[in-house]
Amino acid sequence: MPTLTVPLSRIEGHARTSIEFRGTQILAARFEATEKRGFELFCQGAPAEQMPVIVPRICGVCSTAHHIAAVKALEAAFGVEPPPKAITIRGLMMLGQLIQNQATSLFLFTMPDFPGREGLPSLFHFDMQDAGLAARALEIRRLGTDLITLAGGQFIHPVKAAVGGVTSGIGRQEADELRRRFQEHLPLAEELFSRYRELLMGLRERIGTLGDDTPTHYIGAVEPRHTYYGSTIRIMAPDGTEAEAFEPCDYARYLTEVPLESSYSNGTLYGEQILNCNSLARANMLSVMGTPRADAYLERFHREWGHPAHAILLFDLARGIELIYGIERAIEILEEDLDGSSGAEGDLRVGYTPRDGEGCGLVEAPRGPLIHHYNISDGVIRRAKFIIPTQHNILAIERALRVAAERYITEQGISLELERAMGRVVRAFDPCIACATH
Amino acid sequence: MATGDFAVLNLSGCSGCEVGLLNAEAWIDTHRLAYMPLVLSSEDLPQVRQLVVSGAVYTDEDLYRLRRAATRAEQVIAVGTCAISGGVANLGYRDEVRERFFQESDRRHLPRMLPRLLPVDAVVPVDLYLPGCPPMPWLFTAALFQPTEYQTAKTVCLDCGRVKTRQRPTRLSGFQPGDTDPQMCLINQGYLCIGSSTRGGCRAPCTRAGNPCVGCRGPSDGFIARSAEEWFEAMARVFARMTDIPGDEIDEVLRSPQLSLFVFQFADYGDRPDPVAPRDVKKVL
Repeated sequence: MPTLTVPLSRIEGHARTSIEFRGTQILAARFEATEKRGFELFCQGAPAEQMPVIVPRICGVCSTAHHIAAVKALEAAFGVEPPPKAITIRGLMMLGQLIQNQATSLFLFTMPDFPGREGLPSLFHFDMQDAGLAARALEIRRLGTDLITLAGGQFIHPVKAAVGGVTSGIGRQEADELRRRFQEHLPLAEELFSRYRELLMGLRERIGTLGDDTPTHYIGAVEPRHTYYGSTIRIMAPDGTEAEAFEPCDYARYLTEVPLESSYSNGTLYGEQILNCNSLARANMLSVMGTPRADAYLERFHREWGHPAHAILLFDLARGIELIYGIERAIEILEEDLDGSSGAEGDLRVGYTPRDGEGCGLVEAPRGPLIHHYNISDGVIRRAKFIIPTQHNILAIERALRVAAERYITEQGISLELERAMGRVVRAFDPCIACATH
Repeated sequence: MATGDFAVLNLSGCSGCEVGLLNAEAWIDTHRLAYMPLVLSSEDLPQVRQLVVSGAVYTDEDLYRLRRAATRAEQVIAVGTCAISGGVANLGYRDEVRERFFQESDRRHLPRMLPRLLPVDAVVPVDLYLPGCPPMPWLFTAALFQPTEYQTAKTVCLDCGRVKTRQRPTRLSGFQPGDTDPQMCLINQGYLCIGSSTRGGCRAPCTRAGNPCVGCRGPSDGFIARSAEEWFEAMARVFARMTDIPGDEIDEVLRSPQLSLFVFQFADYGDRPDPVAPRDVKKVL
C-alpha cells in the first residue's frame, strides 16, 4: 500500500498532504497539519483583559481577526456595547485584513500555479509578459496592511481595539490620504484580478476541471455591505436554501469537532455533513456585495458558475471579487467622520466594569467565521475555546484531495499533474495552519 | 559558495515575522530570495549568505530543520520574539499546562514536541538578533541589508513622544487602556507601560495609539546582559519614581506569566535548566 506524501508551500504554516492508494484505488487522502503551540491551554490563567494582546499571536496572517474576536468575546462577557464609531473603525481593520489576505492568497500563493504546464515557484518568477507584476501585486496588498495600521495601530498584531471601543480614532487628513490612494489603486486591483482570471481560465482549459464540485453546505457570517465584523452565523444547504442561523455561543449545537488521527488540526462536521467556508461560501451566501464594481463581478460569477457554485478553484475567483469589494467599501467608510477628538464624549469608547461570566466573540475572518469563547472568573480566563474557520474546511480539503487523486492515479500510473493538483486544491481553500492548530 | 542571497526558515510561530518581511519589499529588485516556503516553492534550502530564522524550536522537526539549515548559511539572523526567547508559547511553561499538552499532542506520524521549547541560539550560533513581535518592516530592511549603519532609538520612550508630567497615580489602571490623555505619558495615567526599559526602533505604534508597551522588543542595551531580576527591579523603580502605586502591586503584575511572555526576552527564560549566556549587545538590532 504505497503512500504519496507531498509537502506544501505557499500556504500559511506547516502542513503536508498524503495519499494512500492500492492500484488505482484511493484508500485515504489526508491533509496533515504538523505544528501546534497550545493556545487553549496556556491562555488559562491569563488576565481576561490581556487576551486582545495575547491572541493575535495565534497567527500573524490573521491577527486582526483574533484581536477583534477577543475584544468582542470580552464585551459579550462584560455586557458592554461599544459605540458605533468604534465598530466602524474595527470594521476598517477587518476590511484591511481582507484586502491584505485576499491579495496575498491571490498573488503570492495561487497565481504562480497557473502559467504554463508546470506553474512557477513564486510571484517573483513571472516573465516579461507580466513585467512588474510582483511589485504591483505587493502595492495592492499594502493597501490592506496600511489600512490595518491606520485603524489598528500596527498591521500585524494590531492594538487599537479594546473592551468598550477603540483606543484612538483616525484623523481626517490621514483618512483622506489613504482614501485617495485606495481610489487611485482600484483600477490596478481590477487589472490584476482580470489577469489572474485569464490565467486561471487558461489552467482550466489545460486540465479540464475546476476541481471537486460536490454540492456542499456552506457556513459564514455575512450580509450585504458588511465589514466582516460578524453578527449571525448561517449555514446554507447545497441547494442554496438557509439551513441554520445561530448566535456565536450556540456553535456546539450545530458544529461537531472531529479529531484527526494524523493532524494537529481537528475537522468540523455539521451533523454528518462536510462544510465549506471562506470566499466561495460568502459568494454563495450573498446575492449582492453592495458596492458597484464588486456587484458587477459577483453578478458575472453567479451567471457563469451558478448560484450556489461548488467547484473549489472558484474559491480563488471569489477572493478576487472580495478584494475589489474591500477596496470599494473602505473608500466609502474612510469618508465618514472617524476622528475621536471632535466627537462627543464616549464617541470612541464607553466605560465598563469587568465581571465574571462567559462570552463569545464572532468575526467573519477572511477564512470564514471565527469564534472566541471565554469563561472568566476573578478577572482571569478559566477556559478559552477558539473555533477556527480553517478547521471547518479540513474535511472538504481531504475530499477534494481524494477527487484529485482519483483523477490522476490511473491504470497508466501516477500523473505528474497529481502533485501540482494537490497544491492547487489546498491553496484554493487558503488554509491557515497556525490558526487551525493554535 | 552561496547560490542565493537569503533564505527564511519558519519554525513554530505565527508567520507574523514573514508577513512583516513582505512589507519590507524593497529587496525584490536587489536581493535574491532562495527559500521561504510561505511564498516560494522550492525543493530544498540551498547555500545562502543569510539565513533568517523565525519561530521557536518546539518540535523534533524544528530542531532538525534548524540544524540542517544553519550548515548552509554564512550568517544566521534570529528574528522575532519566538526565535529569540520562545515568545508567546513560553506561557505554556507551567507544569499543569505542559502535562496536558503532551497528553493531547502526540499524534501518529507527526513531529513530536520537545520536552521544552528552545530559542534558536540554544541550538545554533546566532550572528544577529532582531527582536520584536513582529519586527517592523524597516527593521527587517536594516537587519538584512544595512546592519552596521543602522541605529535604533535606545528605548520605546524615546520613540513615543508622550510627555512625562508630575501627575502621580495611586492605583494601577491595568493592562487595557481607558480614556487616555493623548499627550501624557501612560505611566502618569497609571498604565503598566514598560517602554522605559524596552528597546526602541519600533516607532512606538502601541503607546502612540494609547496602549501600554508590553515589551515585545525586549530589553534596551543596558539590560541585555543583566538578569531578568535586575530588569524587573529597574521597571519597579520607574513606577516608584513616577507613581504612588504600591510596590507589591506593581511587582505582582510585572511577574505575571502573561506579561513575562515578552519581558523574558534575552533574560534567562524563567526556569530554564541551562540558561544561555547573555547575548552580545553588538549583535542585537
